[in-house]
Amino acid sequence: MAETHPAAPAGLPVRTGGGNRPRSTGWTGALPLLAFVALAFGIPTVALLGGAFTADGAPSTANLTASLQGAYLTALIGSVKLSAVVAIGGAVAGTFLAQAVVTSRFRALREAVLTASGVLANFGGVPLAFAWTATLGNSGVLTTRLALGEHGWSLYSFWGLALVYLYFSVPLMVLVVVPALDGLRPQWREAAQNNGASAWQFWRYVGIPVLTPSLLGGVVLLFGGAFAAYATAAAMVGTVVPLVTLQIADALTGNVLIGHENVALALSFDMIMVAGLVMAVYLPLQRRSARWLR
Amino acid sequence: MAPLTPAVPAAAVPAAAPPAGRQGRARRVRVWRGVVLAAAALYFLTPLITSFVFTVNDPVRGFTLDAYLEIFSAEGFVQSLLLSLGLAAATIVVVLLLTLPAMLAVRLSAPRLRPVLEVICTLPLVVPPITFVAGISTVLRWGPDHLAATPFYQTIIAVQNPAFPAVLVIAYVVLALPFVYRSLDAGLGAIDVRTLVEAARNCGASWPHVLLRVIIPNLRAGLASASFLTLALVLGEYTVARLLGYQPFPVWIVTISGSNAAMSVAVSIFSLLFAWLLLLVLSTAGTRKRSGS
Amino acid sequence: MNGARVEFRGLRRTFGATVALDGLDLTVEPGTLIALLGPSGCGKTTALRCVAGFEHPDAGAVLLDGKDITRVPANRRDAGMVFQSYSLFPNLNVYDNVAFGLRVRKVPAAKRRARAAELLELVGLPAHGERYPHQLSGGQQQRVALARALALEPRVLLLDEPLSALDAKVRVALREEIRRLQLSLGITTIFVTHDQEEALSVADQVAVLRSGRLEQVGAPAEVYDRPATPFVAEFVGTMNRLPGRLDGQEVEVAGQRLPVHGETPGTPEVDVLVRPETVLVTAAYDGEAVVLTSSFRGASVRLLLRTDDGTELLADLPAHDAARLAPGQRAGFRLVQRPVLVGPRTTVSPPATATAAAD
Repeated sequence: MAETHPAAPAGLPVRTGGGNRPRSTGWTGALPLLAFVALAFGIPTVALLGGAFTADGAPSTANLTASLQGAYLTALIGSVKLSAVVAIGGAVAGTFLAQAVVTSRFRALREAVLTASGVLANFGGVPLAFAWTATLGNSGVLTTRLALGEHGWSLYSFWGLALVYLYFSVPLMVLVVVPALDGLRPQWREAAQNNGASAWQFWRYVGIPVLTPSLLGGVVLLFGGAFAAYATAAAMVGTVVPLVTLQIADALTGNVLIGHENVALALSFDMIMVAGLVMAVYLPLQRRSARWLR
Repeated sequence: MAPLTPAVPAAAVPAAAPPAGRQGRARRVRVWRGVVLAAAALYFLTPLITSFVFTVNDPVRGFTLDAYLEIFSAEGFVQSLLLSLGLAAATIVVVLLLTLPAMLAVRLSAPRLRPVLEVICTLPLVVPPITFVAGISTVLRWGPDHLAATPFYQTIIAVQNPAFPAVLVIAYVVLALPFVYRSLDAGLGAIDVRTLVEAARNCGASWPHVLLRVIIPNLRAGLASASFLTLALVLGEYTVARLLGYQPFPVWIVTISGSNAAMSVAVSIFSLLFAWLLLLVLSTAGTRKRSGS
Repeated sequence: MNGARVEFRGLRRTFGATVALDGLDLTVEPGTLIALLGPSGCGKTTALRCVAGFEHPDAGAVLLDGKDITRVPANRRDAGMVFQSYSLFPNLNVYDNVAFGLRVRKVPAAKRRARAAELLELVGLPAHGERYPHQLSGGQQQRVALARALALEPRVLLLDEPLSALDAKVRVALREEIRRLQLSLGITTIFVTHDQEEALSVADQVAVLRSGRLEQVGAPAEVYDRPATPFVAEFVGTMNRLPGRLDGQEVEVAGQRLPVHGETPGTPEVDVLVRPETVLVTAAYDGEAVVLTSSFRGASVRLLLRTDDGTELLADLPAHDAARLAPGQRAGFRLVQRPVLVGPRTTVSPPATATAAAD
């Protein structure tokens, strides 16, 4: 990569990135990105850790202890419960939908569902919350037309929120599972049949075990997505479900108690721990399934 | 070994139809698939249809399109939309300028950096955005106290300029990294960068020429998809902006929802259709590229 | 383990507009290895899958020892199959893959294990039981697949291009091993391949298929030496097409008169099909041909000659005889005096180039 070529003329922004490369020892091109991430991601992380483990100007685990007590603990548990329900519900529904699409003979249906899934999986946040509020909120179209309020329906409950979260979780599961279902080679089914296995025996001994890493990976991914979601819940004003993201936001903006910023940081630390755990489960599963379905 | 004369009567050589059991099973599968697809369609279409009904149906006056007509004259609409678009443009430029050279360097000369880059570009997916904001806001709160005497003070004030909060661009670049990385990685995977570069160099092309005339044109699809995804992300981002106290488009929608519910839903439908359009353009561009090759 | 007789009777199968099988009639004698040979799309794999039960013919029947099995479900047929590649269950180790069929049949674990070990011994992988498919090479995977196909002691073994995804060296070693195993077990075996060398070297019988029909079936030497049709002649081995002129039961070609074998077209102007090894070449300054190229193949050398009237032809000769036949040298040639096949005249341009390119 050592070149005698002169560097690019300065002043053209597009060129500067590549123009430096001739004299580089290889990784100079990656330097700006690494530096940027170190600053933009590193400094907040350090600040977060510092704040989480500092109370009254001294190192302490008091914030962490506080974040695992009372309302904060309730919120943390609430988030974990909601995410678990969404992850498992979304995984089951998404798998059925994916299987229905994959076994269909209509290519157009498959393309349509995959495209729609790509869109909907990214469709969290404010618009989603408002669409559901307009549908099933207190004055939503279906709520008023069907008089659901009288039957005790509330969108702002645990199950209401779960219903809304599934809207972006199911498509995400479809996106995760379709490649895995496609990766089930027809030879495996035929080889199983050839060895005398029934359809059920094929699924029990081969199909389901082969899909399991992908399915579990999907569950974990859905859990992470629901666990981190804030905008959707925040935009559904009036939600009474305790969620850790709402607690962090309240503490940060001083909505509840002044001086709880550091507890918010400790809560954030809890969240990162949970998210990290989730990834620690996900990555090995993903590797294994990639090996099987190559 | 001579081919057999059909000694068996014709009836013994049946026009083999699939066994009856198979047919029954096929029908069951079809019915089951129909039920699943119908349920999915119901669940996914209902909110879209009913929220449209919600915006055009005034309890007093009946059908009206006021909610849509009012959008453009609503206070703060233009301002917040322009802010969001400006942030998106800045984010796209910065994130591409940072990632493209890094990824080319990794492909061409530093393959050992690849796992590092991969981890860096996956981290933002693992770390929930709200914890990221918590960290940023801590820095912004502490910074002025501790850096008052240094030149950094001016910087930390400047990035928070409410007219154009550069701090949001920084945050969005981090959040966009995973999407940009994947788009560009797919794009670079589809072309053999090393051979292209070596062929071009062999023909006497200079490095800037290689980058502008060889790599970027071949990477158009990847660059477009990275830009579209970043645009969609910035236009829909609420958490960071709201918690740092700025008012780009998504925050504005929530703010007006208190006074005008129908309009906030109308704007939501708008932004949704816009996101759909973006992603549809993206996916069709992707399929066209695939079928073309 | 005793082989069964397999019969295809008027087998027809169409996929939309394409006809995969067009009335295939064929009998496979018990205990023999038959190779179904043909270009891709000739229906050989479809025929095999009809025996396995993965395809259902539109018309016709498959008989096993005289019993019609056309409508028997795939999982109750007595035929073990080896697929082209990647058919091992990725989540099971080698033992469990081999013992899969036994597990399905609820054979006790100890017995399953003993049987699997025995089969792995048989295919030459006694120490690989605990490994997973992704830890095996392609050749090892196919050995395991072979063991798995044999686990239920089927009466027919079906091989669907089992060697096509392997390296040349492994391919030759494994095909010989398959043959050795087949002979020792005496199992009827149907071996689908598009590689004529593979078919000729391992099979008792070679059946050449074309467009879903049987062109010829016979012992390898018979198919090679006395091809029934020009298609078979050119698909199996390499053929020269030389312009000739019919004269009664003989044909005049390159200054010689050779007896004609098989059908003759209506016109006197014909193409004479001649194997490269039946062209005898000698170095001669006044020879009627010139050597264009010479490719060394170890034991033999293949020469491309051009005669003075512009015809090109290939000739194989022992390497030590070719020392003086470098490109540019003049040479004389003679055809071995034996019956030849003739076809309608198609040679417009020099014939051998196409054959040489396809070789």
